[in-house]
Amino acid sequence: MTKKLLAILVALVMVLAACGTAAPANSGNDEGAKPAETAAAEKSIGVMLSTNVMSLDCNLATDGDSFEVIADCIDGLTQMDADGAAIPALAESWEISEDGLTWTFHLRDAKWANGDPVTANDFVFAWKTAVATNVEYGYMFDSSVACVKNADEIMYEGADPDTLGVSAADDKTLVVELIAPVSFFDSLMYFPTFYPLNEKFYTECGDTYGTSPETFLSNGAYILSDYTPGAASFTVTKNLDYWNADQVSIDSIKYQVVGSSDNALTAFKSGTLDLVVISGSQVPAAQEDENLASKIKVTGAGYMWYLSFSQTEANANGGQLANTNLRLAFTNAIDRESLVENYVMDGSLPTYTCVPPQFAASATTGEDFSGDQDKFKDVCSFDTAKALEYFEAAKAELGVDTFEFTMIYGNNEGDEVQKVAQAIKEQIEGALPGVTLNLQAMSKAERLDKMQNDNYDVALTRWGPDYADPMTYLGMWITDNANNYGFWSNADYDQLIKDCTTGAYINDYEARWNALYEAETIAMNEAVIAPLYTKASANLISDKLQGVEFHPVALNRVYKSATVSD
Amino acid sequence: MQKYIFKRVITALITLLVITFLLFWLVRIMPGNPFPSERMTDEAIAAKRAEMGLDDPILTQFVRYMKKVLKGDFGKGTSLFNGAPIHTVLNKAIANSFKIGGIAILLGTFVGLVLGIIAALNRDRFWDVFCSVFSILGVCVPSYVFLIFLQYTFAYKTTLLPYFFDSSQFLKSSIIPSLSLSLFTMSTIARFTRNEMIEVMDSDYVLLAEAKGMYGYKLITRHVLRNALIPIVTVLAPLIVDLLTGALVVEKIYGIQGIGKLMVDAISGEGIDYNYVLALGILYSSLYIGIMLVVDLLYGVLDPRIRISAKGGDQ
Amino acid sequence: MTDQDFVLLKDRNIETDTNYASMPYWRGVFKRFFAKKRSVVGLVIVAAILVLALLGPVLSGYTYREITSVVDEETGKEVVARGISPRIPWLHKLLGKEDYTDRFADKTFLFGTDDLGRDLWTRTWYGARVSLLIAFVTIIIDVIIGMTFGLTSGYFGGAVDGTMQRFVEVANSVPRLVIVSVLAIFMPKGIGLVIVALLLTEWIGMSKIARAEMLKIKELEYIFASRTLGAGNFGIIFNDVLPNTVGPIITQVMFSIPTAIFTEAFLSFVGVGIMLPQCSVGSLIEDGFNNITTLPYQIVPPIIVLALLMLGFNFIGDGLREALAPKLEDM
Repeated sequence: MTKKLLAILVALVMVLAACGTAAPANSGNDEGAKPAETAAAEKSIGVMLSTNVMSLDCNLATDGDSFEVIADCIDGLTQMDADGAAIPALAESWEISEDGLTWTFHLRDAKWANGDPVTANDFVFAWKTAVATNVEYGYMFDSSVACVKNADEIMYEGADPDTLGVSAADDKTLVVELIAPVSFFDSLMYFPTFYPLNEKFYTECGDTYGTSPETFLSNGAYILSDYTPGAASFTVTKNLDYWNADQVSIDSIKYQVVGSSDNALTAFKSGTLDLVVISGSQVPAAQEDENLASKIKVTGAGYMWYLSFSQTEANANGGQLANTNLRLAFTNAIDRESLVENYVMDGSLPTYTCVPPQFAASATTGEDFSGDQDKFKDVCSFDTAKALEYFEAAKAELGVDTFEFTMIYGNNEGDEVQKVAQAIKEQIEGALPGVTLNLQAMSKAERLDKMQNDNYDVALTRWGPDYADPMTYLGMWITDNANNYGFWSNADYDQLIKDCTTGAYINDYEARWNALYEAETIAMNEAVIAPLYTKASANLISDKLQGVEFHPVALNRVYKSATVSD
Repeated sequence: MQKYIFKRVITALITLLVITFLLFWLVRIMPGNPFPSERMTDEAIAAKRAEMGLDDPILTQFVRYMKKVLKGDFGKGTSLFNGAPIHTVLNKAIANSFKIGGIAILLGTFVGLVLGIIAALNRDRFWDVFCSVFSILGVCVPSYVFLIFLQYTFAYKTTLLPYFFDSSQFLKSSIIPSLSLSLFTMSTIARFTRNEMIEVMDSDYVLLAEAKGMYGYKLITRHVLRNALIPIVTVLAPLIVDLLTGALVVEKIYGIQGIGKLMVDAISGEGIDYNYVLALGILYSSLYIGIMLVVDLLYGVLDPRIRISAKGGDQ
Repeated sequence: MTDQDFVLLKDRNIETDTNYASMPYWRGVFKRFFAKKRSVVGLVIVAAILVLALLGPVLSGYTYREITSVVDEETGKEVVARGISPRIPWLHKLLGKEDYTDRFADKTFLFGTDDLGRDLWTRTWYGARVSLLIAFVTIIIDVIIGMTFGLTSGYFGGAVDGTMQRFVEVANSVPRLVIVSVLAIFMPKGIGLVIVALLLTEWIGMSKIARAEMLKIKELEYIFASRTLGAGNFGIIFNDVLPNTVGPIITQVMFSIPTAIFTEAFLSFVGVGIMLPQCSVGSLIEDGFNNITTLPYQIVPPIIVLALLMLGFNFIGDGLREALAPKLEDM
C-alpha cells in the first residue's frame, strides 16, 4: 500500500516537474489549474512500435505498424471484434445478393474530423484511386482476393478506373459488384486498403497527405496530435466526435519506436511504456522475474518463417535444389521445436504445414485449416534418419556427394533471425554429412531483391497473411506468380488453385476447402518450401492496461475497447 | 588573403558538384531496387520506374535533379515516408542531430583539451596515467554502451532524466545522448592534446623560451598550445562531421529522430530510397567540405607559416 | 717518464668509446625501448593476447561454432546451454559452494556461453584472432598509402597539394555506407571486403596527419640545409621528414586499431563483413549489447580484450616513439 502511495507521489512530482519545464514553452496553457486535473482525468498509455510508421496513407501503407496507427484514426466499413470476426463499423448493416456477387452497405452517420459527413463517395473515391494508381496492395481488389468487378482490367490492362465495380447509390449506400462470390468479403473490409478517403481533403493535400497532423484526416477513434514522418515517438488523442466515442476509454496513446528487446524490457520496467514486445533472452528473463511473469501475454503475430529453395538452373550449382529428395532431406533435418524453444523463445509455434495455423478457420465448421500439425508427418518432421534416407536418394540421383549452398537472410528483421539462421546451419550440416550451408546476411530490401531476381540458393524468409483464408499462402506457389520465389511449377497444383479462385469450386465452400487441402498436400510432398515456425509476439502489458485486442491478421493490436484502471 | 579565400570557396563548390554527381551515380548502381515489394507486380515496378525517369540516361537525370536541388527541393522519397517532401523530414532530423551532436562536440572538446593539458603537464604522474586509461576506455567502449549505462542509472534506477528522447523537454533529454556521444571525442582529443603538447614542450624553441625565463601560463598558451593545436584541429574536423551527422545506434536506442537513423532507414529499410540517400549524401558532403574549408582557413590564423606558403602557392 | 708509461693505442681497452660510436641505430632503439617499464608491460599484454588468440580456442575443447546441447530424456527435446554465466565446476567445489544443478553442471565455461549455447571463451579468442588480422593488415597498408600521399601533398604544396586535397575531400565526403554498399556488388562478401572497405576509408586520416606534420617540418632549417646540400625531393621526404613524423603517426595508428575493429563490426552488422557463425571482437560486443541488462557478463570479455589491446598498443606506441626519436638527455 505504501509502495503504491509512493508511486503516486512520485508520479505527481514527475507530472509537476514535467509541467514546470514545459511551461515556458507553451505559456498559453492555463498553467495553475491543469496539472492536477490532467493527473486525475487523463488516461494515457505508452506503447512500443518496433519500426517506424512508414506511411499514414491507407492506400500506400504496407506494414503492420502503419496499419495499426491508421486503424486507430480511420474506420472502415467493418471492424474486427475480439476474435477477429467482422462487425459493423461505418457500415451499419449490409446485404448480399442471392448470387453473392453484389454487396450493399448502409452507412451510419459519421463525421470526418473537419466536420464533413462520411459518405459512400468517400469509399468510391478511395478505391478508385487505389486501383487507378495500382498501389502495392492493389492486388487485394483483383480476382485473386476481393474480385471487385473490372479491377484486373483497370490495373493490368489500363481500363478506365471509373468502370470499377463500386458505386454510391446515395450518400449513405455503397454498392459493390464482384466477379465471383467472396465469402470473406466482409472481413476484407477492415483491412486499411479498403478504408475511405475524403476526396476534397485528399486532393488538397496532394503528395503531403498523411505527413503531419494538419494533412491527415480522421473519422475514427483517435486523432493524430503530433507526428512527422520518421518520428521516433508521436501521440494520438481521442476523437470526441467519433461515432462510437462513448466506447473509447483511453484518452491518448503515445507511440515510441524501440529498437532492441533489451531496451524494451527496461523501458517497461521503468514504467515509461505500458505495452512492449520482447524476444530472445529477454523472454526467459521476464518469465523468471516474479513481478513480470504475470504480465507476459503471448499472442499470434500471424506470419510464418520458412525456407525458400531456388529451383532454377541458375542457382544452387546448376539447380541441385530442384531435386525433391534433397529438399525433403533439408526439411526433415530441421529441429523446429529446438529452434522455437532455444532461440526464438517468444512462444512462436513450430510449423509443419505450408499454411500456418491459427488464422484461417473454416466458415462452416470453425475448424482451423492447419490446426492439425501432424497431417504431413510423413514428409515434414524432425527425423534425422528419414532425412538421411532422402539425402542418400538425392545423392544417387544427382551423382554427387557434397553440396555447398548459401543461405541468405535479413539482418534487420529481428535479433532472432540471425540466431535461427546459425542454428539451422548447425542442424542441417550436422544431420546431412557433406552439406555446407554458408550464411549471408543482408538487408531485407536486398534479400527481397535477390529473391525476386532469382539470385539465391536458399532464403530464410517470411510471409504474413493478408486475409483470413489459406489462399493468402497457397496462391503464392502457382506457376508464374510473382511471389513464387522458388520457381516451382506443378500443373495439378495450378489447376486446383484456379478451380478455387475462379473455377469449379467458387460456389461450393466445402469442396473449395478440401481442394485447398489437396493443393497443400502436393506442395508439402514436394517440399516447395520448408516451413519453420509461426511467429508469436511475447507482449508485456502493464497491470493498468486491459482489454487490448490482439489479432494475427490485418490489424495486430486494437485499442478501441481497451481500458486503463487508475 | 581574400583572393585565397575566394579561390578556396570556388574549389570547394566545384568539389561539391563532383561529389554530388559521384553520389548520384553510386546510388544508382547500388544493389536492391527502390521498390522491393513482395506484393507489387513486375509491370507495376516498370511503370513506376518509367514514371520517375529512372530509365533515362544518367546525365539527363542528374541535370534534372540538380535543377530541383538548387531550388531547395530534394523531391520526395522513392519508398520511404511516401509523399512527404524530403526537406521537411530532413529539417527535423538535422535539428535534432545538430543540437545533440553540437553539445557533444563542445563538451568533448573542452573536457578533452583540459584533460590533455593536465596530463601533459603532469607527465608520467597520476593525472597522466588517469588520462591514458580514460582515453583508452573512451575509445574502446562504444558510445551506445555508455548510453545504456547512463539510461539505466539515471532513467531507470533513478528517474532523474527521461528514459527516451522527448523534444518537449529538449535540454533534459539531451543530457544522456550528448554525454555518451562526447566520450569518444573527449578521449581522442585528450590523447592527442597530450601527445602534441609533449612533443612541442620537448622542442627547441620551447626550450629556448624557457631558457629565456618564460614559464607557466604564458609559456603554455603562447608557445606550446598554439603549436600543439594545429594537428588537433585536423583530428577534430572529421569528428565534428561524424557527430553532427548523427550516431545511428545512439539515436535508435534513445528514440531520437536524427540523421543517422534516417540514413539507415534510407539504405536498409523497406527498400533503398535513392532520393533520401542522395539528399543525406549531399548534406554529409557539404558539411564535410564546409568544415574542411574552415579548418584550412583556420590553419592560416593559427600558423603564420602556412599562410605564407598558401600565398606562395597562390601565385 | 719511461717507456713503461706509454702504451700502444691498440693494446688499450677503449671499448666504451668505440662501442658508443659504432652502436647501430636500431640497437639503440631496442635498448631505449626496453629501458621503459611501460613499453615492456605493453609488450607483455599484446604478446599474451596474441598467444591466447592462437591457443585459447584450442585449449577450451570447444570450437567457435559448436553449440553445446543435451537431449532431455523425458520429453526428447533438445536443450541448449544458452545464456550460462561463467562457471568452473572444480573451482566451485574447491570454494565449497553448492554444485550446479542444471544439465550442464559438469561443463566448464570460463566466460560463460552466448545466446546460442556456444562457449564464449573460445569465441572471444577466435574473435580476437579475426580482429587482429583485419586490424594489422589494414593498418600496415593504410600507413603506407596515407603517409606517401600526405607527405607528398604537404611537401609540394601549391597546385599539387590543391589537387590532392580535392581528391581527399571527394574520397572522404562520400558516406562510408554508400561506398561499402557499392563495393559489395563487385566483391564477394567476407574478410577481404572488410579489409578493402577499411583501406578505402582509413588511409585518409593517416594522410592528414602526415600532411600536417609535413607542413610544420618542411619550413624548419634542417630541411633547408638538406636542400642546399643537394638533396632531392624524394630524399627530403623520405629521409629527412619521414622519421620525424613517426610520433604522431604512431599515435594515429594506435587509435586506428579500435576504429578498424569497430568499423569491421559495423560492416558485419550491415551484412558485408565476416560471415556468421564466425565472429570478431566487434561483433561479440554487438552481440553482448543485445542482452546487456539481462545477461551482462556477455559483453565484458570482448570489451576487456579490446581495452587491453588498446592499452598494450598504446604503451608500445609511447615507448617506440620515444625510442625512435630520442631526446638528447636519453642518449
